[in-house]
Amino acid sequence: MFDGNVFIKDTCKNVVEDGKVIGFEMQTHITYYRGIPLSMINYLKVAVDGEEMPEEDIRFTPDGIDWFTLKEMETVSAIKWEYGTPGTVRVLRKGGLSKGHHQVRLTVCTRTAYIPVPLEGNMTRDVEIA
Amino acid sequence: MGIKASVSLYSLQYQYLQGKMNLEEIIAFVKGLGSDGIELLPDQMLHGTPEPTEETYQMWNALVRKYGIGLACDDVFLNTNMFKNRELTKRECISLIKKEIVMAHRLGFKTIRLVSMVPAWVIEPCLETAIENDVSLNIEIHAGLGFGVKKTDEYIEEMLRLDSPYVGIVPDTSLYMKRAPRVMTNYIAAVMGNLNPDLIKYTDEVFASGTDFFQLNLKSSDGMDPKLRSMIKSPADGFYAANISGYENRRLEELDSLAKYIKHVHFKLYEMTDEGDEYSIDYKEILQYLHDHDYNGYVSTEYEGNRWVLPDHEIPEVAQVTAHQKMIQRYIKEIEG
Repeated sequence: MFDGNVFIKDTCKNVVEDGKVIGFEMQTHITYYRGIPLSMINYLKVAVDGEEMPEEDIRFTPDGIDWFTLKEMETVSAIKWEYGTPGTVRVLRKGGLSKGHHQVRLTVCTRTAYIPVPLEGNMTRDVEIA
Repeated sequence: MGIKASVSLYSLQYQYLQGKMNLEEIIAFVKGLGSDGIELLPDQMLHGTPEPTEETYQMWNALVRKYGIGLACDDVFLNTNMFKNRELTKRECISLIKKEIVMAHRLGFKTIRLVSMVPAWVIEPCLETAIENDVSLNIEIHAGLGFGVKKTDEYIEEMLRLDSPYVGIVPDTSLYMKRAPRVMTNYIAAVMGNLNPDLIKYTDEVFASGTDFFQLNLKSSDGMDPKLRSMIKSPADGFYAANISGYENRRLEELDSLAKYIKHVHFKLYEMTDEGDEYSIDYKEILQYLHDHDYNGYVSTEYEGNRWVLPDHEIPEVAQVTAHQKMIQRYIKEIEG
């Protein structure tokens, strides 16, 4: 239902820190129609060329200010992921994505106020690393 | 007084998400349609709710003044499942709703729509705050989550017991559908594959006979009408059956005894036809009913056809909302003069 919100086109890139590629990241909108506290993100998943990235290597920021692991987000009720503000999903992975084309799949799942089933959205994009 | 036309900004959520219109442009657009008011989901288009900054309040109040737009309804949600490991306690829920009431007042709203499934026990402890802030608390009665669903029935019971002008209902016209939304059928067939033609035919028959699958499913011991179940031959059929069960085809007369508690109405929109009517819902009949029952309030366009647009296709929010408002305003004029 909210697949179209997931994984904003042309946002996937390697992340360089102190001259080293420490991973890769992409931006996404929320799989819901309103902003919610981070504790209501049920899970985030990233797969590269069919390979699921380890959950503990995933980091998220709703606004570029604070970064959290998935486990940490479970208790974050005072910071919201606002509707219309892209969040950034980062995967810590030495060397990031190698040069060439990759099929990167992002899954975003949120719990909602009245719908008993969490709302999952996913999107696979062809990403080219120059 | 009389019935007033408004637009829920929910209807324009993709214009906002995709950065095509900001909040001011959306308000200006609605004003330009000749609508009397707007309905807002603060969690959608304001930041930091239910405790936004003073700057946010100033920005909002300045927009409302600038465009002279009426404030139809504030859509409130209760995040009972805020945490993975537990439900919020009663005290936490009551505290959140009180914050929402204070925010609604500061934003200028007098009517709150509480999302379906908000527990009835929040009302009485919040009533004093509602009265102090002159904001009414009204549960949404939505197809699939409305009459016959425990939490909604309990809310109505509590509303009748309290019998306060500050406690009411917001019926949603997904309760009054004459036929299945064609945009849904077409979407599922395009995305998931062809649907069993017998399933479509049976759906048409059920709706034409004056009932719906939500009500038929309630009568079945395993939660689904056996004939509907027998026609599910593929995942597409299953998805269709699940979704069609969330639309109801009730009689408006069921609202008679609750009419005085109606504080706001959601006018669902799935698809406007070339003839200028909604494909599934008879709005002339509904507006006539509201008029005959002395309803004096807003009716808000709530565009949900957005869920049934193919990925990477333009969502026709602007055109659909425009046509729906034209229809509503035409019927109000016809009926009320």
